[in-house]
Amino acid sequence: MKLPLKYSARSLLVRRGTVMMTVASIAFVVLVYLGVLSLAGGLRSAFRTSGDPAHVVVLREGALSETSSFFSLERGREVMALPGIAKNADGSVVAAGEVMILNNLPRRDGSMSNVTFRGVSSESFQLRPALRIVDGRRFEPGTAELIVGRRLSERFPTLGLGSELTLGQLRFRVVGIFDAAGSSFDSEVWGAAEDLSSAFRRTGYYSSALLRAGSEAEAAALVQRIEDDQRLRLRALTEAEYYAQQTAATTRQFVLLANMLAVIMAIGACFAAANTMYAAVSARTREIAALRVFGFKRRSIMGAFLLEAALLGLVAGLIGVLLALPLNTISTGTTNFLTFSEITFSLRTTPMALLGGVLVAVLTGLIGGLPPAWSAARKHIPDAMRAV
Amino acid sequence: MRKLVWRNLLRNKRRTLLTVASLAMGVFLLCVLGALLQTFNPTETETSEKRVVVRHAVSLQFELPEAYWRRLETLDHVEAVSPLSWFGGIYKDTRPENFFSQFATDPKTLLEVFQGIEIDEASGEAWVMERRSFIAGRALAEKHGWRIGDEIFLKGEIYPVDLNLVLRGTFTYPDDQAQENQIFFHRDYVEEALANPGMVGTYWLRLDRLESVPVVIEAAEAMFENSDARVKAETEQAFAASFTEMLGNVEFLFGAIGFAVIVSVFFITANTMAMAVRERNTEVSVLKTLGFGHRRILGAVTAESAAIGFIGGSVGVLLAAALVRAAAQALSTMFPLFSQMTLRPGVALLGLAAALGLGALSGFIPGQAMARRSVVEGLRKVA
Repeated sequence: MKLPLKYSARSLLVRRGTVMMTVASIAFVVLVYLGVLSLAGGLRSAFRTSGDPAHVVVLREGALSETSSFFSLERGREVMALPGIAKNADGSVVAAGEVMILNNLPRRDGSMSNVTFRGVSSESFQLRPALRIVDGRRFEPGTAELIVGRRLSERFPTLGLGSELTLGQLRFRVVGIFDAAGSSFDSEVWGAAEDLSSAFRRTGYYSSALLRAGSEAEAAALVQRIEDDQRLRLRALTEAEYYAQQTAATTRQFVLLANMLAVIMAIGACFAAANTMYAAVSARTREIAALRVFGFKRRSIMGAFLLEAALLGLVAGLIGVLLALPLNTISTGTTNFLTFSEITFSLRTTPMALLGGVLVAVLTGLIGGLPPAWSAARKHIPDAMRAV
Repeated sequence: MRKLVWRNLLRNKRRTLLTVASLAMGVFLLCVLGALLQTFNPTETETSEKRVVVRHAVSLQFELPEAYWRRLETLDHVEAVSPLSWFGGIYKDTRPENFFSQFATDPKTLLEVFQGIEIDEASGEAWVMERRSFIAGRALAEKHGWRIGDEIFLKGEIYPVDLNLVLRGTFTYPDDQAQENQIFFHRDYVEEALANPGMVGTYWLRLDRLESVPVVIEAAEAMFENSDARVKAETEQAFAASFTEMLGNVEFLFGAIGFAVIVSVFFITANTMAMAVRERNTEVSVLKTLGFGHRRILGAVTAESAAIGFIGGSVGVLLAAALVRAAAQALSTMFPLFSQMTLRPGVALLGLAAALGLGALSGFIPGQAMARRSVVEGLRKVA
């Protein structure tokens, strides 16, 4: 005969104060776990939304990122003339040679970070359809104007709409703020490629080229064609793949950190859960004996106490999740270690992470509840009956 | 009264033990977080404060002309100048455990600017003589099993050349062991492979004395004010800090985690003490009847929980001290920066103080309610 779920649930409510404190301590474990995971989730989603699998990124052979890549304009033109690139109605190819420049600028709190400046052409906008101007207007090529990702402009006071800044040799003005739907372009400043390369004396080079293929299959063929061409000495990969590689190391580190913290904190919380459950068992010694007399098996008693501990964990897990949800409204920034440039992103708690958090809490309750449940099941009936 | 505190601690041994254990885990975590955070703020050493780093004003993506080398040498108070270019090549693969700092430099001036580098004379000379050779920090060489005469291959990532280097010596850096996770080789060799572009990533200047630092920084920046490549000069610390700064709010992140740990631990100890106090209603009333004052009863309960805090904190600190090296080893494969993590006394003390404070506080709160309750009420209540 099994004890009903209601017995375990109502038993929890009997000692509200103690249970609540334990629930709180486990909920904080879940909060920390989800907090760190939301960094990884946010970073990953910022970069995932950046890459289109039908787009091909072209870099110098051996380069891992656009910032360390460069090749001559001539080589760039050769690549953009390859067959397999999508064309506009007027016959022009949907491809853009771009220049990436890192410039050290102060954040709002005074600390310095490298900001990515992307020198683009008009096709660059066509290649990133998610990017739209939310304030001001687009830049005019040749007039030293810039547009800035909204999140970046919030973090860097010198990048607000209307502000002027000297880059290399030229005085630039911010004429627009754009939103790129949470992608990594939100962490960039865009200007005309010619303007930026002449300001920084980087003329004659592209950092990268972005090409649109007709389909994913054609993108793969285009990648193969560029990689196989020994004469070009260029590296090609799909845009989706490129951005996945950009964050892999950093997100792995956050996940590792989250797991480590969760394990250590959960061990501590297990002891707390054990304490609570031991108290519950000893307070109910006579009740347990009575149940045994009524014919409930040791197994049922143990099951009931384990269930009670698991429920305690579940409640804590759900509270932890609730506490973690507001994290989704926070946006922050760090550096991309591959390029040493600023990336801003919103924290994101993914459904998988939330599930993981609840699981951590339930496991904490179960593991902590196991020894007390065991001791409850093994109580000697006559002794237990006599207990006060 | 002391005996009463002690007896009460042992009255429910299992409960005390479990609380101590969970406290210990919390303090252990706080200590590790503290140790991690300290790796971002390395100790300032005597020699490093006399060094100034000169780099391109825009960012490290830009290099400085070779000609700046001689000009910087002419500045007053500058005793030696060495060029250092971050090569950033790939050794074996891109996994973090194969990452280490690689600098193309000028061997002769490097050893003048970094006097903390210790290398035996014969190896040093062999390195200076041979264009294709490199020296490695001893810790790094041991990690990868490199022996003198071994060749390594670096695939160029930032620079479009690959390097084949031969090991001619290992160095130690007693001032700052973190510096042993790097290799140095001839910039002439790289320059040649690149067809002599004549560029340098950073210049490192050793000054005559500490007081010269601001003067030299100003003079170096002024020297190139109107050149194509303006420079930014800063102390070695400021340069190192700029990388940590880029990380953003690491301190805030760790602080937030630490705070959550403390709150979580507080709930645990407070819960224990609340349980302990609750079962003592009757006996406390008896004590009061016997003439023990409120303050003494409150003191006894606070002392009891402070003792739990102290024991738990001590266990946590000891645990952290014992495991910090192992943790550093485990972490260094993912975060090379943390390989030199150590538990400093300040951090340990802070962890212990936190445990003690939390313990005392969690006894004080229920203790106060208990001390205030009237004798009659206490006697009437059954646990």
